[in-house]
Amino acid sequence: MDNFVAGDLTLAFNAARTDAIELTWLGRSNDRNPDKLLNPYWQITLAEAAQRTLPIELHFQKLQHFNSSTITVIIQFIQEARRRAARLVVVYDQAIKWQKLSFDAMRVFVTDELFQLRSV
Amino acid sequence: MSMKPFQFSIDLPVLNHWRNVDLLLTSVQSCFVAIFSDVDGCNAIAMVTGELVENAVKYGYWSGDDKHFRLRINGRHGSVVVQVENPVDPANPQLHKLEATLRWIDEFPSAEAAYRAKLLEIASQPGMSSGLGLVRCAYEGSSTLRAELIEANALRVVAEMTFWPPARS
Repeated sequence: MDNFVAGDLTLAFNAARTDAIELTWLGRSNDRNPDKLLNPYWQITLAEAAQRTLPIELHFQKLQHFNSSTITVIIQFIQEARRRAARLVVVYDQAIKWQKLSFDAMRVFVTDELFQLRSV
Repeated sequence: MSMKPFQFSIDLPVLNHWRNVDLLLTSVQSCFVAIFSDVDGCNAIAMVTGELVENAVKYGYWSGDDKHFRLRINGRHGSVVVQVENPVDPANPQLHKLEATLRWIDEFPSAEAAYRAKLLEIASQPGMSSGLGLVRCAYEGSSTLRAELIEANALRVVAEMTFWPPARS
């Protein structure tokens, strides 16, 4: 897999991890239509996870900002991953207030072992 | 020169270009970090500014000659008011959707409850225009929201935020 780069946003793929598809969000997610940018990359990510039978980890600790359209895209990815029975872990920094507020609220989606929220 | 402490005002006409959303967001964030020591609070003001400005750019009526919206941010004694005014088409259904979203938020016992309900709604109705930005302003920005039509062809959305006491050095 390659990194995802569009505008001010990068999702860095950690090729050193053999136990998970780890993507670290860097920069700012401020596009008007982030779904159009990210959806093709999500498809690649889900296919890779299925092929290698690995969980997907999304790391947000270093992200500076995301807009509400990006939150919508993340929710849709959570739903799509669950539909495909892919394990998904979202990691955030609870010391950063906006991250704590945004991701704590996503606990409404923690309904089974397929989706986990992890704060550091 | 005598200055009243912790009173400030930003008043800008802004072109309706999408790139200006993040320019304003980061500029506002930098301005408030220069005033206050509470970085989390500054992030919240910037986030609310960004969400309201995004809505102005997305849903404003931009077919006329004027391609500007107006951003005002005023503050005093631990409260901040963010206002965005943009031209609107009174027939645009987005106006009714905005009013409905504000009423919907008020129906919940807390902004957090409204936000969690909105996340679940988005998950169950993919592809729908959600109003998440406004609910996020109420929840994550701890703001009270209102909207008003001005002279029938402009919309003003106001977010009132109450914050920390002024930082003391």
